[in-house]
Amino acid sequence: MRPWRWLVAVLVATWLLPAAARATDRDGRIRLWHAWRGEEEAALAELLESWDGPTVEVLAVPYDALSSKLGSAIPFGEGPDIFVDSHERLGEYHRRELVADVGDAFEDGAYVGEAVDAVTIDGARFGVPLSMKSLALYVNDDLVAVVPGDLEGIAALAETLPEGVVALAYEANNAYAHAAILHACGGRLLNDDDSFGFVGPAAETSIDVVLDLLDAGVVPREADGALVTNLFRSGKAAFAMSGPWLAADLATPEGDAVRYHVEPLPLLARTRGRLQPLLTVESAMLSPSGAARPEVRRFAAFLASSAAAARRAERARAVTARTDTPSADPIVRAFAAQGRAAVPMSTRPAMRAAWEPANKALRKILRGDAPVTEALVEAEHRFAMVMRPPPPARSPTILLVVIGGALMFGAVVLVQRARTRAFREQVRRSIPAWLWVAHAVFVVGVLVVLPLLVGTATSLFGGPPGDVHYVGAANFVDILTARGGPLLASGSFWLTLLVTVLWTVVNVALHVGLGLAFGILLARPVLRMRAMYRVLLIIPWAVPNYVTALAWKGMFHRQFGAVTGATMALGDWLGVTIEPIAWFSRFSTAFTANVATNAWLGFPFMMVVTVAALGSVPKDVLEAAEVDGASRWQRFRHVTLPMIGPSLVPAVMLGAIWTFNMFNVVFLVSGGDPDGTTDILVSEAYRWAFTRDAQYGYAAAYAVLIFVLLSGITRGLDRIGAAAKAKVGP
Amino acid sequence: MVEIRLRAVSKRFGDTVVLDGIDACFPDRSFVVLVGKSGCGKSTLLRCIAGLEEVTEGGIEFGGRDVTRLAPRDRDVAMVFQSYALYPHMTVRRNLAFGLELRKEKRAVIDARVAEVAKLLEIEHLLDRHPRALSGGQRQRVAMGRAIVRRPAVFMFDEPLSNLDPTLRNTVRVDIRRMHDDLGATTIYVTHDQVEAMTLADVLVVLDRGVVQQIGAPIDVYRNPANRFVAGFVGSPAMNFLDGRVVDSTVELAGGVRVPLPEGTPAVAAGKTVVVGIRPHDVRRDPDGTVAFVVELVETLGSHVHVHGRVGDAVFVAAFEGHTGPKRGETLSLVVDRLHLFDPETGVALR
Ligand SMILES: Nc1ncnc2c1ncn2[C@@H]1O[C@H](COP(=O)(O)OP(=O)(O)O)[C@@H](O)[C@H]1O
Ligand SMILES: [Mg+2]
Repeated sequence: MRPWRWLVAVLVATWLLPAAARATDRDGRIRLWHAWRGEEEAALAELLESWDGPTVEVLAVPYDALSSKLGSAIPFGEGPDIFVDSHERLGEYHRRELVADVGDAFEDGAYVGEAVDAVTIDGARFGVPLSMKSLALYVNDDLVAVVPGDLEGIAALAETLPEGVVALAYEANNAYAHAAILHACGGRLLNDDDSFGFVGPAAETSIDVVLDLLDAGVVPREADGALVTNLFRSGKAAFAMSGPWLAADLATPEGDAVRYHVEPLPLLARTRGRLQPLLTVESAMLSPSGAARPEVRRFAAFLASSAAAARRAERARAVTARTDTPSADPIVRAFAAQGRAAVPMSTRPAMRAAWEPANKALRKILRGDAPVTEALVEAEHRFAMVMRPPPPARSPTILLVVIGGALMFGAVVLVQRARTRAFREQVRRSIPAWLWVAHAVFVVGVLVVLPLLVGTATSLFGGPPGDVHYVGAANFVDILTARGGPLLASGSFWLTLLVTVLWTVVNVALHVGLGLAFGILLARPVLRMRAMYRVLLIIPWAVPNYVTALAWKGMFHRQFGAVTGATMALGDWLGVTIEPIAWFSRFSTAFTANVATNAWLGFPFMMVVTVAALGSVPKDVLEAAEVDGASRWQRFRHVTLPMIGPSLVPAVMLGAIWTFNMFNVVFLVSGGDPDGTTDILVSEAYRWAFTRDAQYGYAAAYAVLIFVLLSGITRGLDRIGAAAKAKVGP
Repeated sequence: MVEIRLRAVSKRFGDTVVLDGIDACFPDRSFVVLVGKSGCGKSTLLRCIAGLEEVTEGGIEFGGRDVTRLAPRDRDVAMVFQSYALYPHMTVRRNLAFGLELRKEKRAVIDARVAEVAKLLEIEHLLDRHPRALSGGQRQRVAMGRAIVRRPAVFMFDEPLSNLDPTLRNTVRVDIRRMHDDLGATTIYVTHDQVEAMTLADVLVVLDRGVVQQIGAPIDVYRNPANRFVAGFVGSPAMNFLDGRVVDSTVELAGGVRVPLPEGTPAVAAGKTVVVGIRPHDVRRDPDGTVAFVVELVETLGSHVHVHGRVGDAVFVAAFEGHTGPKRGETLSLVVDRLHLFDPETGVALR
């Protein structure tokens, strides 16, 4: 048996197979990538049956993965010829030359102007509009007889509604929804010159409007999508500002949950402007190689044709951008009308960096944590900081010299040693051993070492995707100097590090404390139904942690959360009025909410470890202590704890690492609120990579720093553990 | 330094009766040995007296003070465990000092007491080691030191020698007895080894299945066992038991052999069937002997020989002084100097 032969064969095969596949699909096939699901996907399948051109190979890609897959496939000639994506990504695709002019696939005069604008960059069309998505106004027909013409009218209706029913449900603290009001005030989220738009008089007016609505109780506080859906579906909202997905959520097998209709958003009387939602145009886009093939362009035109649009409208309630294909479905018609009165989302890459500051400022203001102007100006600064030019390109000579020198030195040492007979002999004898570990080395290399090296290398680069250059240690310098700002300002590495350390220490302390307490209770032999308690106590650990995190986030909701409910009930019982706490508006409370969630998630692990460790403490040693005169607490403190300590150290170490990197809880519960202060290093790194203009190099530098810190912590704890173990011995 | 009184102490684990109505009184400063077969409840009784187990029924008094519901630390007792149960994470010094520290003794007092005990037990050079760096005998000494250092009213030992090798066992046994005599506390000592029990005890308590069989000075228990169990358990080699019947002033064994009842044997109704107990040391070789003993195996111990063989059909062991024994297959005539009679049904000694 020669294991390496198999290895080589497998490697060669994996290399050759895709090449073979590549060779075959050059013969005229059309490759289509899309992110459609459910009815939309079914509609596509139906359409393909009536397509008379070359075979179409369809690949469904998750929406979140689509853009990165395109970016890594198309430049190497591997990607699709045609793909369906939201138009707002076009700017980025255009910059990276992943898309080309669609040419004759675009039928002039067939689409509404907003959709045409959406796919146009510098006068050329880079997509064929397929469908439009935007918010519109849902009206509960049981609660509303006559729909007022303006937002103020809707607010006025609030007085007449039954107790417990809000007038208008929408995600007030989400910039996407707020944009509709901003547009009515003449503002934009991003200006045409790539400067931050959500600042200045228009933005302030739009916020005044919302503050008035919140103060008058017209709109629910801190509403997220799920809350909007729930309120409207249960008849607790007269109006909702939401997208087509709400219609899908309202449909039940027995018909709609409430009697409603949809119409375009109303006017804003204060500015005499119309509420205009942001518009997303789903478009067929062509890769450069696809655009060059006439049959691909013909297929794009086919997907966008009137017949295809009608099919999608019928099956999936897709709202076409065509002017010549009106739908019979009143909801689709309403959304189509809204599409003509909407503002296409900016295609500029800078748009991606605008969301986070806009959302942060909006949340902060609506919670009443900061004056309007101040928060908006701060948001503008934040935007500018993200959009600052990448560090200048550096010559990689120094790095290459260092790496080259190291390699050279290694080679010299190796050659020197290879010249000694003993070493050659040793190598010859160890070859069979190497063959046995080859697969493990290979797997660890590919799965652990390689990503680590790539990540480290990435941290030395800067610039937007598709246009990266070597910047040396500039990312690290930037991070460690807090980008030139005050070292402990919000969002600075040092503040985040401080918060992360605090977060880790508090959590691990709680995990160990709770784990020990419950572990000891569970280990008591007199406890009845021990097995049941054990299962109950392990449940928090068994539930996927993002589910728990979302549940806890819901519990901390200011208006509808269980924690609020409990404190109010307690207040009623005590006869005092307790103001509902806005958990995420102060660092202390937001941090507490995060910690509570994570303590809940983390203690079962420590508990299980404790139970196991307690089993290793001999009973008679404890009895000896009892006879020696130790109380229960003294026995725990002086005997049990020192004896189980060493077995807890590895668990504490793991717990510390997990907590240090506990992205889910921070991201989902507080989301960094208020103002990014509860963010920890990983969630900060995530934001740089995925919400701030894809600054991968910068994010990778964060990751490298996290790695270095964790290695340090691990080593430190290891020492402590070894010392403790040496004392107790076997 | 107390008298210990047990009043009808019973202990049950669920439905299992482990101790059944134990009454006893151990005088102040006495060395009490609880002896019995493995599983008879010795450790349980000891733990009840120490307070590590709660008694199910009955009461325990230390010097007239009812301690039945008191925690161990309020009873002023110290215990040496079979496994020694040293604190593995503490040095020998801290192991010794721990009980005093818990009692908030002054540092100087603690140091002095630890030094004194370490000297007494000759473990001064071990004070800064951890238990895992000690041999079995050294651990045993530390465990004893931990008990002594507190100067308790009652010492307890649960089979403290069972993990030592035989030669060490003998020296430590002597040390324990000497220590008891020096310290003057009441000692309760558990063992399953009747040699240890006989050599150490002032008061011997023989237990079987959770019931006290006999309490008394070792020599009384040896001379006048209360029943067949005690008779068989105490003494080495064990007593021989033969079936017999009382005829006139003799007892007739199976096979028709008649053994005259020696002086001092209690009068028993003639014709009664009995179990005859004869200790191996209570027979003599004598040409006039009436008992024919067929030799099968001879064990030479130096000062004694133990001879295994048969009397009639029954297995019999005899012990003789000197170092030369009879040959295999020889038939010896024996005279019985002393014998015990037991009721065949109840096993109670007939006196
Ligand atoms: N915690 C317990 N639960 C149930 N049975 C026990 C327990 N402890 C001891 N026993 C039983 O009580 C009997 C006496 O045990 P023990 O006192 O340890 O005997 P020994 O005389 O050998 O020291 C044994 O049969 C043992 O199985
Ligand atoms: Mg025992």
